[in-house]
Amino acid sequence: MPDVRVTIDGTEGSVPAGITVLEACRKLGVEVPTLCDHPAIEPIGACRICLVEVEKQRALQPACTFPVSDGMVVHTRSDRVVDARRFVLQLLFSERNHFCMFCQMSGSCDLQDLAYDYGLDHWEFDRAFPRMGVDASREFFVMDHNRCILCRRCVRVCDELVGNATLGVKHRGAETMIIADMDVPFGESSCISCGTCLQVCPTGALGDRASAYMGATDEITRVKSTCTGCSVGCGVELVVRQGRVIRVEGDWDAAPSDGLLCEIGRFGLQHDKRRRARQPQVRQGDGWVDSTWDDALSAAAKGLAAAGGELSTLVSGTATNEMGAAIAAKLPGTKQQLGTVLLDDSAGLAALDEADLFVVVGTDLTVEHQVASFSIKRGVRHRGARLMLVCDGDNGLAPWAFKQVGLNEAASVLDIIKGAEQAVVVYDAKRSSVAKAIAEAVPGAKCVAFTDGANTKGLAAAGVAEAFAGGAKAYLVVAGEETGADESVMAALGAADFVAVQASYAQPWADVADVILPMPTMWEKSGTVISADGVEREVRGAVAFEGLSDVTTIERLGALLS
Amino acid sequence: MGKVTLCSDWLDVCSGCHMSLLDIDERIIELVKHVQLLSTPVTDLKHPPEEGCDVGILTGAVSNDHQEEVARRMRERCKVLIAVGDCAVTGGICTMRNFFDVEDVLERSYVETESTDEGQEVPRSEEIAKLYPQVKAVNQVVKVDLHIPGCPPPADALWYAITELLAGRTPVLTDDMLTYD
Repeated sequence: MPDVRVTIDGTEGSVPAGITVLEACRKLGVEVPTLCDHPAIEPIGACRICLVEVEKQRALQPACTFPVSDGMVVHTRSDRVVDARRFVLQLLFSERNHFCMFCQMSGSCDLQDLAYDYGLDHWEFDRAFPRMGVDASREFFVMDHNRCILCRRCVRVCDELVGNATLGVKHRGAETMIIADMDVPFGESSCISCGTCLQVCPTGALGDRASAYMGATDEITRVKSTCTGCSVGCGVELVVRQGRVIRVEGDWDAAPSDGLLCEIGRFGLQHDKRRRARQPQVRQGDGWVDSTWDDALSAAAKGLAAAGGELSTLVSGTATNEMGAAIAAKLPGTKQQLGTVLLDDSAGLAALDEADLFVVVGTDLTVEHQVASFSIKRGVRHRGARLMLVCDGDNGLAPWAFKQVGLNEAASVLDIIKGAEQAVVVYDAKRSSVAKAIAEAVPGAKCVAFTDGANTKGLAAAGVAEAFAGGAKAYLVVAGEETGADESVMAALGAADFVAVQASYAQPWADVADVILPMPTMWEKSGTVISADGVEREVRGAVAFEGLSDVTTIERLGALLS
Repeated sequence: MGKVTLCSDWLDVCSGCHMSLLDIDERIIELVKHVQLLSTPVTDLKHPPEEGCDVGILTGAVSNDHQEEVARRMRERCKVLIAVGDCAVTGGICTMRNFFDVEDVLERSYVETESTDEGQEVPRSEEIAKLYPQVKAVNQVVKVDLHIPGCPPPADALWYAITELLAGRTPVLTDDMLTYD
């Protein structure tokens, strides 16, 4: 469509036809306040704080939903507009129970910011003091209806972005309430704890338990990094105050997930209950003694060297490319990956948004690589895409699927897939052969593959390409934050002569290790990873790690072993 | 010209707002050059004189009939009334009891409190002020000319408001002087 001419606050400009007045204002550098609007979701004009004066329109219009037209003249700061916005704020504050002095979000609240901007120094209307509940039935965050302004951002992200549609509303007008499912406690609902609603709430209606009262907007810094929870490679913003990560948020500007995170990425590390490995430890008989880095490295080197050539280093997929390079270059013996190695070419997550048929092979995406399941759910819900599951047993995506067949019946689905315009086969590296057989039989089908390890492709490129094979006498396990490994790996470690572990948490390695060397988590280390889509992404340490860095530990160990 | 006369009083309050007034520190010496304090809760004279004053300051919410009387008397006797602090401006933290029945609040306070001995009763003397069912902001009871929110308001906001009034201007709180917590 051709551009249209608009004049906003006296500034004339050319903007694309079809965009909203709000978008036009932003293009011309005019700030308009918003509450219910969010760039990632469709505007609905619920809160009316963005009201502007459009010439030749009788009433003020919400900028977020009103489309521009050629020759339009808009005033965003006229007395009429400012009075209307103050009135809207007065109404918002008078409806429920908004008391900043005991709200955890004071200092990080869009509603409060606007009240300050518009100089609200008192409330003009009597309040109803409605008795509102607080739903604290979820583990990681709380829904406080007292602070809700019914902007429905939470409802819309849950539906439009995550595709889960857990949140909705009941009743109408002032009686309207945000509810989960058919008005069940939030904690008993179909919510998957991705926390997207929490991140977009403009007030304190959805509050994070871990970071409550831990730091307001002017007390925190944000560090953009990459989640290493799995190989999707979502962009995160680590919210830091005084050397601690208080919260993790999705980075709206980062591919592949454009701001979405799953429960693991947002809350996993924050709520990991395991004891951190902070001090190097050496096994003495049945117990452990704290050690210095020098002594622990010597003990590790001595034990590993005793195996002669039969030494193997097992590397977690959370390790960075820099770690992969150091391990490949500095350490003797074989090098293998702890988890399933993904080597297949994979399209990016964005391919899922163009598919009309998803074929998910051998993985429950609602458990593994959850962010990919969001793409599928919203595709099924909003674009009419179809989902077929090729897997054995229960699958969290089954309610979204029109058909499920077992892995050994994979060939039976080919006819259906051939009828699709754009089929995308989604699989975990464990089922690579079955999935590739399906994809190869259908011309034009794309593959989107994942694996648990965030950086198995990068490690492979760095020279650590093989999967665990066993057979060594001594092992060095580079475990990172891993919560464990396959039974075969744990059995091999248990049977080995000597095991040194470089890990962020002592468990479960303390049961099989002889030396534990502390390792920074994804919040504390820096480096790069190559996600499943083959894109290199940066992991940035947001907080300090007291101890040797991950790479330095390997280099020191390598020097002792050479 | 004589000094500007000022009276202050407190209602349902923790007294933090008056502390914030004292937090103007040595500026109080400058203040008394221009202002005569006629009555405050922390000086000997507690009540604004019948002949009235120029500026009245009220802190705290209106929770009972006595406090409403205090607020009305201040309004009658001052020319400019300032509501200072979140409780005076919005009802503040005192309004937490608005979600409960008054009888339940009294029971909880006088009978069920963990530190209360067995067998205590809610005092019912006619001498005692009667709690209202709902805590109110000052502007729900009397007309207020200027609001200074904050819990407590910054001393700078109070100093700014008073000096602006002395200069004959209407104070407009902005930036760090306008705060709700």
